[in-house]
Amino acid sequence: MLAPAAVWMAVFVAAPLGVVAAYSFLTRGPYGGLSEPWTLENYVRLADPLYLRIVARSFRIAAVTTALCLLLGFPLALFLARSGGRKHLLLALVILPFWTSYLVRTYAWMFLLRDTGLVNTLLVEAGLLERPLPLLYNEGAVILGLVYGHLPFMVLPIFAVLERLDRSLVEAAADLGARPLETLVRVVLPLARPGIVAGALLVFIPCLGAYLTPDLLGGGKTVMVGNLIQSQFTAARDWPFGAAVSLALMALVMLGLTVFLRRGGERFL
Amino acid sequence: MALAALAACRTGPPRLNVFNWSDYVAPETIPAFEAEFGVRVRYGTYESGEEMLAKVLSGNSGWDVVFPSNSLVEPMRELGLLAPLRHDWLANLDNLEEGFRRPSWDPNLDWCVPYMWGGTGIAYRREVTPPPTGWASLWEERLRGRLTMLDDPAEVLGACLKKLGWSVNSIDPVELERAGQEARAQKALLRAYVNAEVRDQLVAGDVLAAQLWATTSLQAIEESAALAFVWPEEGFPLYADNVVVLRESERGELAHRFVDYLLRPEVAAAVAKATKSATTNAKARALLPESFRSNATLYPPPEVLRRGEWFASLPATAQRLRDRIWTEIRSA
Amino acid sequence: MSRLLALYAAAIYAFLHLPLLILAIFSFNASRFTIWEGFSLRWYRAALENPQLLETCWNSLVIAAAATLVATCLGTLCAYGLWKRRSAPMAAGLYISLVTPEVVMGISLLAFYQWLFRYLDVRPGLHTVVAAHVTFCLAYVVLVVLARLRTLEPALEEAAMDLGATEWQAFRRVTLPLLGPGIAAAAMLCFTLSFDDYVITSLVAGVDSETLPMVIYAMARRGVSPVVNAVSTIIVFGLGILVLAAGRLQRA
Repeated sequence: MLAPAAVWMAVFVAAPLGVVAAYSFLTRGPYGGLSEPWTLENYVRLADPLYLRIVARSFRIAAVTTALCLLLGFPLALFLARSGGRKHLLLALVILPFWTSYLVRTYAWMFLLRDTGLVNTLLVEAGLLERPLPLLYNEGAVILGLVYGHLPFMVLPIFAVLERLDRSLVEAAADLGARPLETLVRVVLPLARPGIVAGALLVFIPCLGAYLTPDLLGGGKTVMVGNLIQSQFTAARDWPFGAAVSLALMALVMLGLTVFLRRGGERFL
Repeated sequence: MALAALAACRTGPPRLNVFNWSDYVAPETIPAFEAEFGVRVRYGTYESGEEMLAKVLSGNSGWDVVFPSNSLVEPMRELGLLAPLRHDWLANLDNLEEGFRRPSWDPNLDWCVPYMWGGTGIAYRREVTPPPTGWASLWEERLRGRLTMLDDPAEVLGACLKKLGWSVNSIDPVELERAGQEARAQKALLRAYVNAEVRDQLVAGDVLAAQLWATTSLQAIEESAALAFVWPEEGFPLYADNVVVLRESERGELAHRFVDYLLRPEVAAAVAKATKSATTNAKARALLPESFRSNATLYPPPEVLRRGEWFASLPATAQRLRDRIWTEIRSA
Repeated sequence: MSRLLALYAAAIYAFLHLPLLILAIFSFNASRFTIWEGFSLRWYRAALENPQLLETCWNSLVIAAAATLVATCLGTLCAYGLWKRRSAPMAAGLYISLVTPEVVMGISLLAFYQWLFRYLDVRPGLHTVVAAHVTFCLAYVVLVVLARLRTLEPALEEAAMDLGATEWQAFRRVTLPLLGPGIAAAAMLCFTLSFDDYVITSLVAGVDSETLPMVIYAMARRGVSPVVNAVSTIIVFGLGILVLAAGRLQRA
């Protein structure tokens, strides 16, 4: 039963990753392509502060996105958990935009934020601005796009935990004289922790490897690890270096995955 | 399996896959070829030479005809990507200008046929006063956020090298590193590295000045009288785009017919007029209206042309260094 | 407090849905700039008359259909196998494929295909794209079907086998029908993922296998064209309906 899928995975997941691993030890040919000698140079090159800065930037953007998703998503999950009968409909409304094209949703933000986009046009027409604000092609726009795209990943796990929360615990706290906010912070939040952790990892890990959002909304200026990898395999034509960066990214992502699984995260998958 | 069968069922007229720069043919060029020869042409476009090379480097890209610039012809030949040209299938070869019949990058035209040529300068909006006069103008604070450079390592490094007083084809590591530093210093002012796409932004006024090819600049000036072009005083690069047939192509003869078709005076003239490019075809140039033939942006006068320097293909180690510097510039 | 929460939720819903609504509204704008100049269908007409858009749309549909077929079959079998017998390596493999960034999956397949090209005559084409899509969809199919399987009574199959059925017969005649909605939901999910994919496809596609997202991306890079708005709106509605149907089915 498992055999066909196992074979497929071996051929199309394991083998390609193996090829990439091998390439990461080769050298780039003069105009691109591959050549001997086998070397560790690509990994050494990764330690250059220039590239470490890209990794740091990716971490920073992923972290900020995760924090924002948490801030924005937790109250929403709370609302959903308490909304009684219409829970599933409201949940569906959260997920619906998520399952339509990611490319389209990213383009929607381009449409809104560019110099001649809706936001700027409205502000200029209303006389609030003299010339358009550069809302697009910067890190802020990338973070906005990432938050927009990954919010459901944060909301769903937290909702799943809050839904199963024992209401009597909340009532007991109220009976003991706690105000609503206090109950929230001292009772609900700690109980929701598994959901929060799951949500955080479900947002952080994909954001680390983001490519499309920084490419379109960052104007190619906000270079994240994903962009670096893609450019090495296309215009820069340096496959060995790109392979090394890919493996480094995979290592980081696997680390995140192990943390996730150790904390019992597979319940959420 | 089923898909392959489906694909095989759809055998229609022979197909030619042509990969060219965007906006580099006249609207009727391809349809007329299709009609005359009874074939279908899949016409794809690219915005950068790097993009094109990345696709064809593998040797199984699926394209038959591509248009590399002169500095790429030699390397592509060495990488075994080009099919030797059969002159017996290219009757119109004599239509080329004298200067392009024995070009330095392919003296016998064994591998390529020159198509259009041009140079790189600065396109700017007239409200920028005083107007830019050279590459150094593109490092000025007043252009912050409204400045673009080409998404091309040879062009960006070329501009930096010229600004520093060196050759665009420099292979000196010291000179190249310095040029790289200049580019990274400029990055803070830069809006984006972008090629022909910047045209709309210039017209709309989002961009004040751009490093841009003369051809593309003319296309933009055509759309808006608020734009102008200048050949930088420090000197500027010259390039020629060439047609080549890829070795991987299984439609060699049809590809040659296409190349020959492009060499026809009326076809080349139509392309030159529609795309505002300088043609390498003497007979075609004779067919152009006077306004084109004497256009200083397209065919700069001798004293300006003297400041121009043809791009050359460079030795492998220098190329590797340049590509690395370019990655560093982009990633900064 | 709950009033506040409700207000907040409304704001978030607006945040989530407004961009797409605005996109859709402006796809009916007669002008190509962001100033409303009247209702018009011209961009839809332009989109439907664009041969490149039509051809790539067809490609996308064919690829999605083929990928869905293969992935659903492989995935269902795999989920069933995992339900019966836990397998750490398989689960690990699936997690890895879920967590691998799209870029990395794309470039690894590109590198793999290029390496393969030295020994087999593999041209990038529809089949290479389909294989890539099956690969990244597989884990999702397994997830959905496995979730559904976990709601089933294992006792049912055991009962069937006690009554003389073989394992395969038990699967086919007892479990599979019960899995129906789950498999359908997984298939629709797979179709959506495949149709929408840009990153992986752009890396492994060939000359003849351009997909709709690739064209949209190129158009988005070149500037704001309301044609993109129109195409996007069509896609959002099409996929949206699919997703709603999948949701309904999964709860059936």
